[in-house]
Amino acid sequence: MMIQLNTKMENFMNGQTDETPIQIQVNHVNIYYGSNHAVKDVNMPIHRNSITALIGPSGCGKSTFIRSINRMNDLIPSARCEGEINYRDYNILNKKIDVVQLRKEIGMVFQQPNPFPKSISENIQLPLKFAGVHNKRLLNETTEDSLKQVALWDEVKDRLDHSATGLSGGQQQRLCIARALALKPSVLLLDEPTSALDPVSTSKIEEQLLELKKKYTIVIVTHNMQQAARIADYTAFFYQGELVEFGHTKDLFTHPVKKATADYISGRFG
Amino acid sequence: MSHLIPLTAVYRLSDKWGVMMNTRKAMADSAANVPAGPSLLREKGIIKRFTDRYSESRGKAIIYSSAFLMIIAVVAITLFLTLQGLRSFVIDHLNIWNFLTGTEWYPDRASNPQFGAFPFIFGSVAVTLLAALLATPIAIGTAIFMAELANKWGQRIMQPVIEILVGIPSVVYGLIGLSVFVPLMRAHFGGSGFNLLAGALVVGIMILPTVASIAADSIRAVPDKLREASYAIGGTKWQTIWKVVIPAAGSSLMTAIVLGMSRAFGEALAVQMVIGNARNLPHSIFDPSATLTTIITLSMGNTTTGSVLNDALWSLGLILLAISYIFILIIRYLSRKRVV
Repeated sequence: MMIQLNTKMENFMNGQTDETPIQIQVNHVNIYYGSNHAVKDVNMPIHRNSITALIGPSGCGKSTFIRSINRMNDLIPSARCEGEINYRDYNILNKKIDVVQLRKEIGMVFQQPNPFPKSISENIQLPLKFAGVHNKRLLNETTEDSLKQVALWDEVKDRLDHSATGLSGGQQQRLCIARALALKPSVLLLDEPTSALDPVSTSKIEEQLLELKKKYTIVIVTHNMQQAARIADYTAFFYQGELVEFGHTKDLFTHPVKKATADYISGRFG
Repeated sequence: MSHLIPLTAVYRLSDKWGVMMNTRKAMADSAANVPAGPSLLREKGIIKRFTDRYSESRGKAIIYSSAFLMIIAVVAITLFLTLQGLRSFVIDHLNIWNFLTGTEWYPDRASNPQFGAFPFIFGSVAVTLLAALLATPIAIGTAIFMAELANKWGQRIMQPVIEILVGIPSVVYGLIGLSVFVPLMRAHFGGSGFNLLAGALVVGIMILPTVASIAADSIRAVPDKLREASYAIGGTKWQTIWKVVIPAAGSSLMTAIVLGMSRAFGEALAVQMVIGNARNLPHSIFDPSATLTTIITLSMGNTTTGSVLNDALWSLGLILLAISYIFILIIRYLSRKRVV
């Protein structure tokens, strides 16, 4: 069985033709959980204004890897990262890096929608308040702007003061994306953002991501190979902690170099 | 087995997939080859049916009756206290309004005895509120420390400390109040040193561990995904605790405080040892006063059943019960409002 590639062929072509500059360069990254070697010597570029998809079976280290890009692994006491993730002349994995500032520039959205149990507008404004912005006008403008970027504005503009937990799952996830965008980060990390959502919400978010990549660099972990094929410019295939193959999505899906990649994308395992 | 051969041909896999292949093969083998054993499914015989039902219903009876006993106890206490408490108004014809608002309590005066319980109601409420005011910031701080900051260490050291504090009998707290707070008050604020503030301090320390441990539990109950979300949008640890975790735990923190208050409200012994037990309405927190519980414990032994004073004390008990019910209603209301 070959995967269907006809859905968004034009995106493919776009990604293929214009190569954007490298935003993040990953060199020899190793991540351990205690004695468990979860990510093994990963090297890959992440290109600006493009979508890079990380695919692979469960437990292959792709989530661990994406969480290291904005140092969310710091929250796990047993996790240890080695190597270099170079972003704007800095090594993100350097212990001396200001992690709080890093996360303001590299935002993240998780698998489960996790809005705060506050109102919709407070959800968007909290990151700004964290950053010390208290100007009412700026807060309101950013709220509107962020919600428009994820096409949620029209759905919620009349109930910005309602609780965010009352939204549907898909709306909550788009709110979380909007929240991550409120600080105007340069990179957006998405860890399986649509795996808890229905197909309609999923396709809405995919559409938004294709819009958002014009302004942001997007890295997305996905279980769904069709999703990677539909939206990603570059795809990285992880297996058992190793980066097996990285390339343009089209190349990777049509002419995989490695046998393991071919087996995975044709659905023989995973 | 023959059908396995083309399957193997399809999976021309490198050594890496070998393990996976073997499990697949084993699964296929077991499905194909294991003969179906005789099923153990039977109809129950008459005797088995009877013994089953008997043992089932016996277990049920034990569980049901223990639950029922609890309900009976609550209803009985409420009924008994209501009946006894209303005696002073129905049989002894005390005016209920004068009883609740009167400020003079001279029950044993031969001519014109007065039953004004307001000083005690006020004393109870004042002690409770002051104790909550003193205990809440420290308790919440301890809870944050235990649940958010010193996670492992907090579990290992703070948890036993809190348990020991909960386990100390109230008379010990009273003794400490008597030997530490009362002399301190006397030295700094004059008077006898037995006063409302001393009572509130003692009770505040008593409820501290209760509030802290419930508050710590409610902070721990805040899902980690909210903390993760907060860190991911560039929140610092303090911002995360203050702006995300505490508001999310909000109503359960209130529950912890109200539970502590209801404990403070019911405390008699320790308060009685330090509050001074004056029957007058206190004019400041440095005046001696009394609470509903202290006046009951002090006077009840000296009355005869059926006397007016005895009935009046039952009425005070009824007021205590009513206010405890109000606390419980507040807790129920707060926990119903909980969102996450």
